[in-house]
Amino acid sequence: MTILNLKIKILSRKEVTPNIYLLSLAAPAIAQQALPGQFLHIKCSKDNYPLLRRPISIHRVNPQKGEIQILFQVAGEGTKLLAERPVGDDLDIIGPLGNSFKLYPESKKVMLIGGGIGVAALLALGEEAIRQGKEVQVLIGALNKELVLAEEIFSDLGAKVEVATNDGSYRYKGLVTELLEKILEEEALATGLPHQIFACGPRPLLKKVSEIAFQKNIDSQVSMEERMGCGIGACLGCVCKIKGEDQNNNNNGLPPPPYIYKRVCIDGPIFRGNEVVWDDQ
Amino acid sequence: MINNNKPNLAVEIAGIKLKNPVLTASGTFGYGQEFTPFLDLNKLGAIVLKGITLKPRRGNPPPRIIETPSGMLNAIGLQNVGVEALIREKLPYLQRFNTPVIINISGDTREEYIELARRLEEVSPELPISALEVNISCPNVQKGGLAWGIDASATYELVNCLRKATTLPLIVKLTPNVTNIKIIAQAAEEAGADALSLINTLVGMAVDLDSRKPELANISGGLSGPAVKPVALWMVWQVFQEVHIPIIGMGGIMKTRDALEFMVVGARAVSVGTANLVNPRAAIEIIEGIEKYLIENQIREVKELVGSMKI
Ligand SMILES: Cc1cc2nc3c(=O)[nH]c(=O)nc-3n(C[C@H](O)[C@H](O)[C@H](O)COP(=O)(O)O)c2cc1C
Ligand code: FES
Repeated sequence: MTILNLKIKILSRKEVTPNIYLLSLAAPAIAQQALPGQFLHIKCSKDNYPLLRRPISIHRVNPQKGEIQILFQVAGEGTKLLAERPVGDDLDIIGPLGNSFKLYPESKKVMLIGGGIGVAALLALGEEAIRQGKEVQVLIGALNKELVLAEEIFSDLGAKVEVATNDGSYRYKGLVTELLEKILEEEALATGLPHQIFACGPRPLLKKVSEIAFQKNIDSQVSMEERMGCGIGACLGCVCKIKGEDQNNNNNGLPPPPYIYKRVCIDGPIFRGNEVVWDDQ
Repeated sequence: MINNNKPNLAVEIAGIKLKNPVLTASGTFGYGQEFTPFLDLNKLGAIVLKGITLKPRRGNPPPRIIETPSGMLNAIGLQNVGVEALIREKLPYLQRFNTPVIINISGDTREEYIELARRLEEVSPELPISALEVNISCPNVQKGGLAWGIDASATYELVNCLRKATTLPLIVKLTPNVTNIKIIAQAAEEAGADALSLINTLVGMAVDLDSRKPELANISGGLSGPAVKPVALWMVWQVFQEVHIPIIGMGGIMKTRDALEFMVVGARAVSVGTANLVNPRAAIEIIEGIEKYLIENQIREVKELVGSMKI
């Protein structure tokens, strides 16, 4: 894997639902090597404001056409500018970055859970799992019907898709994690539990999914988010707490705290749900 | 073909010959290796590594960074692998490059700084260690750090002890969070510093109005990036008029012209910091830009620019 710093052309742009944009980008060198769960570090502005790049998940990869897609929500100054960049413009990106979701060969059945824009990071994984012949179930969570993302794309791929909306405007009413609990109860009796669970979305969702998976003894992997500086492991700005004993650390004679800081940009963004320390923040 | 029209970019700092005056600022360039996908480390004037302490440090809780208008705040809290892991795992890799490596050191106590300097001097014959940059200006750790750099007599005492403890060149890194930087600069020079580097970050904070919470878990952080450049230029200019030792200028250098401005106000070399996070090739582009500038303006030696401000 080589990390590249490239200028890549915006081929098309579409506002798929209010404030959420899909960009297709010409990037053969990225498309050849990108793995599910990886991200791009994108310079949204052309000057110093906003200054820092923004990490955006790779949504879909088409190695044959040499194209990739990103699906993102306008959440601040950076993503606002990104959404305004015209077709034909060159985007300055660094990528592909980060580790990736790991599908185990022995997992016949996997479950993907996305909350809000978190769904964006799961499509490439879903495609890969289907390609490997796995049974794929996708749980999509959104505030309301309008904001449900990628339902049709996942269905067309051959995944079994369930949807939860907070306001009940579409399908299951409630949190996607409540839907998860319900489905796991049913599946346990019917065709059996999934062998792996993958999640991307807000922190409370990731925490809850990890807890549920742990209780059911299912391996879980979650995509963590943290503000980033460099994106390449150099600035130590993006850490999260991961369980583990840091024997090296001097803690003024006290026993070391049971966690270490790992960099989301390079040690992550994918971590196992049960290795993340969730209590703070 | 020898091109006699090629300008001379070389400068000397603290007895170290640099092929050009562009360094990487501590903490923004990791241990160097992280940037090898993007640039040839051989092309840099020198590499300044992430701040190191005697023992490993876990650093501050997240969130550790937040963007602010034309800048950023960071409160990393000196997370680092400790000097032994640096010696074992990081420095051997840098041996293959013919670029001087400068080690940025921090400590809670005078004894820690001294032990660090001694240990690094001990291994310096076998490893690439050209100089020590003494960080007496880190705003993000509870003890030590900034406490040295805001007090002239504490600065004098620490630098003087280090001077006696090591023959490695000493570059003292100054903080802008002081009422009069000239007094601190003078103290460092008198105590035997070979060069000064400035500025470290300016203490600041950011708050999220909606949640009424600080944006950084540490509450305060160090401001860097384009927003601090005018402050940094002013500090370099003031110190330049006060001391005789060379100055490495930094603070918000994003492009060639920024770097040249620092040289004009008195910096013999410059460090590129936050810009590395935005553009991993920033330092190289600045070096190329300086060369181009010198050619276009028919300046033979970059040295001629140092302190050339007209008033
Ligand atoms: C993420 C980050 C980490 C830093 N870590 C250190 C450090 O370990 N030691 C140090 O002396 N300065 C550290 N600095 C300060 C920089 O070396 C530099 O003095 C400052 O950022 C101003 O330059 P700039 O505006 O070009 O970034 C750090 C700065 C940043 C942004
Ligand atoms: S963003 Fe710099 S280390 Fe992760």
